[in-house]
Amino acid sequence: MTDETQPRTDGGTATALPGDSHDDGSHLPPRWSIKRWLITTNHKDVGILYIVTAMFFLVFGGMLALLIRAQMWAPRAPGEGILSAMAYNQAVSLHGLIMVFWFLSPIATGFGNYIVPLQIGAEDLAFPRLNALSYWLYLASGLMVFASFFQGSTFAGGWTLYAPLNIPAFMPSIGATTTVFAIVTFCASVTVGGVNFITTIHRMRAPGLTMRSLPLFTWSWLLTVWMMLLAFAALLAACMILLSDRLLGTTYFAMTTDGGSVLWTHLFWFFGHPEVYIVFFPALGAMAEIFQTFSGNRIVGRKWFIVSMVLVALQSFIVWMHHMFLTSINLEVKTLFMATTIGISLPFDLMVFALIYTLIKGRIRWDTPMLYAFGALVLFIVGGITGVFLGAVVLDYEFRGTYWVVAHFHYVMVSGATALIGALFYWFPKITGKTYNEFLGKVSFAVFFTGFNLLYFPMFLAWGTPRRVFAYRPEYLVWHRIASVGAVILGISFLLIIYNLTKSLISGDDAAANPWPYSTTAEWAVSSPPPLENFPGTPSYASGALEFLGSDDDGSGAAAATDGGHATEHEEVHVDHASVWPFVTGVFSFVTVIGLSGLQVGSYPAGLEGLFYQATSVVGVVGLISAISAMGYENFTAHEGGFGETWPFGGVENTKMGMWVFLASDVVLFGAFIGASIFLRVAYGWTNWHPVPHNPIPGLVNTYLLLSSSFSVILALVAAKKHSRKGIVASLVITFVLGLGFLVNKGIEWLELFHEGVWLDSGVRASTYFLTTGLHMGHVIAGLLITAYLIWRAWNGAYSEGSGETLEYFGLYWHFVDIVWLFLFPLFYIV
Amino acid sequence: MIPDAIAASVLQSGLIPRGTRVQVFSEIYWVFLGLGTLVGAVVIGYMLKNAYKYSDRGGADEKERPKLGEMPTGGGKGKKLFLSLSLSAIIVISLIAWTYGTLLFVEGQTGDQGVDVEVEGYQFGWNFHYLNDDGEYSGVNTTGTLRVPVDTQVNLQITSDDVFHNFGIPALSVKGDAIPGETTETWFKATEAKNYTAHCYELCGQGHSYMEAGVIVMEEEAYNDWYAEQRASAENDSAGNIAAAGV
Repeated sequence: MTDETQPRTDGGTATALPGDSHDDGSHLPPRWSIKRWLITTNHKDVGILYIVTAMFFLVFGGMLALLIRAQMWAPRAPGEGILSAMAYNQAVSLHGLIMVFWFLSPIATGFGNYIVPLQIGAEDLAFPRLNALSYWLYLASGLMVFASFFQGSTFAGGWTLYAPLNIPAFMPSIGATTTVFAIVTFCASVTVGGVNFITTIHRMRAPGLTMRSLPLFTWSWLLTVWMMLLAFAALLAACMILLSDRLLGTTYFAMTTDGGSVLWTHLFWFFGHPEVYIVFFPALGAMAEIFQTFSGNRIVGRKWFIVSMVLVALQSFIVWMHHMFLTSINLEVKTLFMATTIGISLPFDLMVFALIYTLIKGRIRWDTPMLYAFGALVLFIVGGITGVFLGAVVLDYEFRGTYWVVAHFHYVMVSGATALIGALFYWFPKITGKTYNEFLGKVSFAVFFTGFNLLYFPMFLAWGTPRRVFAYRPEYLVWHRIASVGAVILGISFLLIIYNLTKSLISGDDAAANPWPYSTTAEWAVSSPPPLENFPGTPSYASGALEFLGSDDDGSGAAAATDGGHATEHEEVHVDHASVWPFVTGVFSFVTVIGLSGLQVGSYPAGLEGLFYQATSVVGVVGLISAISAMGYENFTAHEGGFGETWPFGGVENTKMGMWVFLASDVVLFGAFIGASIFLRVAYGWTNWHPVPHNPIPGLVNTYLLLSSSFSVILALVAAKKHSRKGIVASLVITFVLGLGFLVNKGIEWLELFHEGVWLDSGVRASTYFLTTGLHMGHVIAGLLITAYLIWRAWNGAYSEGSGETLEYFGLYWHFVDIVWLFLFPLFYIV
Repeated sequence: MIPDAIAASVLQSGLIPRGTRVQVFSEIYWVFLGLGTLVGAVVIGYMLKNAYKYSDRGGADEKERPKLGEMPTGGGKGKKLFLSLSLSAIIVISLIAWTYGTLLFVEGQTGDQGVDVEVEGYQFGWNFHYLNDDGEYSGVNTTGTLRVPVDTQVNLQITSDDVFHNFGIPALSVKGDAIPGETTETWFKATEAKNYTAHCYELCGQGHSYMEAGVIVMEEEAYNDWYAEQRASAENDSAGNIAAAGV
């Protein structure tokens, strides 16, 4: 039984098919070519790009941390120390932002990219080009952060970006705008990535691999991307509103807007608390994999571990106000959020115990990955216990804004980083095909663990120090000194890690397909590194264990013949692995943002500088639209998958599912915008607030226009079923004309208001009206651009001869836009 | 109201820490610290013990180990898992519930008695507006120094004139957000007549590190003298202003 059902892991079989010969077929240059890395859409390449880039940002964020610790070497009088007050505030803010957004999440995304498709038996992600686009948007957003340091000053208000310090009245530098833009771009990257991973994991699993039997790392990553999709939409809304305040002069967060500051804290923490778990979950999943492999035990209570993760992911959206116990929220709300906060700690207790009990009766091997994973769990326990202190509201009252919080969340977040470094060592042989230096790896862990505790533990002892200051009471001097020494030691450990891995990459021994005894997941069943199409045949768990079915025997799979060399070559559908457009889109996103960052409260700077920003904006926007259009027009075939469909995703094509998932994030985006309007209206006084447009009739007309346009999209679908080219074109033209009518009507209304002197900056009523309906109008404009494209394609017979699926996907989007209007119309025109 | 009745009886039981903020904070903090250290030591100790005990030293292995390519499974020890979970849940929930009583006490203290002061943060300092018994401005204002009487409850109404600040006096365990357009209420009671320092606990711009205020706790009599003097000069000022304006 064993030999036949066991996958053939003797590397040789798998390596026979890959790589070079196949690369020609897919137009993908070899790995040593720079061009390959610019055009690749393969999930493994993109994963490597993510990991390497994230390591660069780790170094960048780490340098800022060392600057902070240098400044903290002694309590400083004004002007003393290596940093000025503003430079210190910038270092503090960007250290946090970079570590959270540009290191922790992306390095996990790197593993998600590389490992998850292998674990679930998918040849690639559902939308390979969107995956590359996620990466290039991420890199572009990171480069925006770099650039922001050279535009006067970068953001200097803390990673929480509290209002109203974040608006131009208090932080006028162009670099601050660029930083907010960078976050918006990062949100876009995350949303695109989330849609991709959710579709892939729900739809493209190997046959027989049910949701229940997904490996734990894949489970953790699936929940991470779900949380990302919904939480980052809230951050996107917050930062879009902030950008509107900064660029256009709306007054959401202005000092004089009632409720503006508190609105920011709600929007930010609605994102911010799930973000903690977004950062920690992949680390938890990696810990679970490493604990199982290196103890030689299957995880204890696997089912309950998964249930706990799901519970945490759900609960993460109802704890955000525990960051706001000292604002003016009332006792009832505090009590509620205190209860949910305790509630979310309990599933974590279970997971920690499950990991610990997995050690029992194991044969634990203390290779570097296990040292890091084990160390991470120890640190996480300390972080968890000190978090309970903060859950007690009376204690939180005193700890708020102090080093207790700093120490606590570093124990949690950096323990996540510790586990991810373990993951880096764990998967290094798989990703590179090389073996790292074990001795140096263990040394690096010893240095890391020492440095970590020297750095963060004294912060508990010096907890009376306020956060983000460099003047502190002299009695804390010794603790801050020890912390600074620890920071240097921790920094050295990262140099050791990077040296070890780089050296091993160049001159390490070749790694076996499966270097770790007792590993179980599918990535170890293929060569190191895996071939371009991942598997020597179609992976399947239908028989109860992994086997690779040759495509010759029609998937009947009698013998697990891993005759993969033929399998991929005989593949009938040609699958693409390269596109330059994601890269080009990333480049022009960067250019666009640099250009638009010059805009402040409706005007560009004077003189040559303003000219530069204006020209850059125009070049960027034109390039961006062209690049996205080119990507849409490009022919690109991806793997469809569709083996592991389960309710409710059965029979739903990838693109349709992707559209639904995207709309889910759009619901949160609009929800946040509408919620912000309602929140500000309540603070303003509900009944004193009158709709901005004097006359609801144009709005009512627009409601009818949009509803009829939804109907005409349905007519187009019906025509497509009847293969009537004329019918499709006619219905789409009607849709376009109705949509255009909506825009013209809206334009007239806005123009009238403008002439009356009512514009974006005329107070909070006007701000919410223009911005929220403006966001909707942006969606309408995007819809009309797509309609124009569809009309052109339909004219050439695209949907009358083939299937009308594209029309259906567009229809989903268009109906959604109409439904949103049904909420906006009463809210902004009638009540 | 039944919950109120329960709350009241729990509050009177003597189980719940009461007193000044410094007293309740330190009492709860030390209990948490003691229990937290104990739990941490037990859990991490247990981890280390098993890590040592089950380290791979070669030798015969009678247990069936995971195989590459198997369907992920795992289970067993469910009872033990839930026992541990229940234990930790009991500790955490009872601890938090215990502090909740104190929270009710602390939150119930604002209002009727003592001295009322409006604290207003600005970049980068603090204004203090003293309120009279009706909660209206008394005309007594100070900048940079808060003077309060000893052994008297001081009620703070904290707000901001510009950005988001946070007013806190660490030695008196009192803290509150200073949000523009909003007021947050808190209170403290100093038991010693000495000087303290208040800090800003929310990053508010360039001068954040040095955004402090002096807090001078005075003997009741000295405070009353000082306050009366301030009142008098404030009245003179406003009278003078009115005269100067020619009203």
